[in-house]
Amino acid sequence: MAVSRRRGGRSRLIVALLVLTSLTLLTLDFRDSVLVRQARDAAGSVFSPLKGVGEAVSAPFSNAWRGITGFGDVQSENDRLRERVAELEGQEVLNAAAAQQMLELTAQLDLEWIGAIETVRARVVAGSASNFAETIDISKGSRDGIKVGMPVVNGAGLVGKVVQVNARRCTVQLITDPEFAVGIRFLNGVTGTARGQGRGKDLIVDTRLAPGGADVPEVGAAMTTSGIDKSVFPENIPVAKVKETKEAGGGLTLNLVVSPMADTEKLAFVTVLLWSSGL
Amino acid sequence: MRPSGSALVAARLSLVMVIALTFQLAIAPRIELFGVHGDLMLLIAIAAGLTAGPERGATIGFVVGLVYDLSLPMPLGLSALTFALMAYAVGYLQDSVLRAAWWIPVVTAAAASAFGVILYGVFATMVGQDLVSPSLLKVALVVAFLNALAAPVVVPVMRWATASGSGVRSRSVYR
Repeated sequence: MAVSRRRGGRSRLIVALLVLTSLTLLTLDFRDSVLVRQARDAAGSVFSPLKGVGEAVSAPFSNAWRGITGFGDVQSENDRLRERVAELEGQEVLNAAAAQQMLELTAQLDLEWIGAIETVRARVVAGSASNFAETIDISKGSRDGIKVGMPVVNGAGLVGKVVQVNARRCTVQLITDPEFAVGIRFLNGVTGTARGQGRGKDLIVDTRLAPGGADVPEVGAAMTTSGIDKSVFPENIPVAKVKETKEAGGGLTLNLVVSPMADTEKLAFVTVLLWSSGL
Repeated sequence: MRPSGSALVAARLSLVMVIALTFQLAIAPRIELFGVHGDLMLLIAIAAGLTAGPERGATIGFVVGLVYDLSLPMPLGLSALTFALMAYAVGYLQDSVLRAAWWIPVVTAAAASAFGVILYGVFATMVGQDLVSPSLLKVALVVAFLNALAAPVVVPVMRWATASGSGVRSRSVYR
């Protein structure tokens, strides 16, 4: 009996120590401790090759499975994409001329323009290992000039931002992640903050607009990053379109439900903007 | 010279942990059900509680959680805390209530996985991550199902990894 009681006391002591250690780590992480950052960096360099090995081993099987289950879809999508590519090739010539003019004008006016930012193109190599973090891993890292905080886009718009970087790969937090927030602006100048709500869900924009006001954006209105002072993102990256409006704050303000421009569930390639906010 | 019992256990556990982490990081995200994938790292911690008892189980669960935390862009210590508590609770129940039958570890793994996911969500919300939502229940149920499928493989592997080999038998699951 005495032995059992002593053992129970020891067990509880061990658990108490483990809980205390966890709480200490959480506190250190919350305070953005250098120690925690260094530990994550070191772990990242160890885990990165492990991920590579796992992907190399599993890729043939998962590709074969996708090929078997999605052959019909792939074929019809391929036809649609060919048509779209032909259409876009025509537009590209016009866009290139417009982009050149824009670059010259912004240079003259000493303004920043997104088309002038240096970029790195990367392949999406893995999804999130956790069911709670909406992230992707991409095939470029610090060797290519990528740093934590850099914006990630695709042809449609904002995809997310870099949250972890190793030498050869990095982790991108997607705009749908519940922890993601970005300052946005509509064409009519209305600003707000768009926040992720989780996988496959639309974003919510908090605004200070009054319901029924003249400046309430219409359904379908597009918004871009605001790029206001000390923003994490440069301005004018397309973010989302308004899907519906909802009253909030007891009917005093409006929240907008917005659909992201970029389809974060079907990403194959993304572009990292080598841009830092300087914070 | 043969390595000592505890060195051998540590080596086996490290090997299992590296393989499990590789699977969780690179392969698990490709095997989804309703947009949710299994949580092998949580299952390893639960299996540690089942096979090594509350004390060792909690310690192994803590280390497994800590390694997992370091690989995720989530608060450091969250998985360590959850996994240690789940391993302790499962080990304690195994000690006091459970008897060896083939289905008991499977049911325990499923129930503990669902509870572990919810506990993680609650702890995350307490540190400002706001994960408590109806979809947390969906994640908990799918993880419970997928982890129950993996349990008949993972529990014997953890039984092998945690067996001290010095005459002390490991817990009687899957005998």
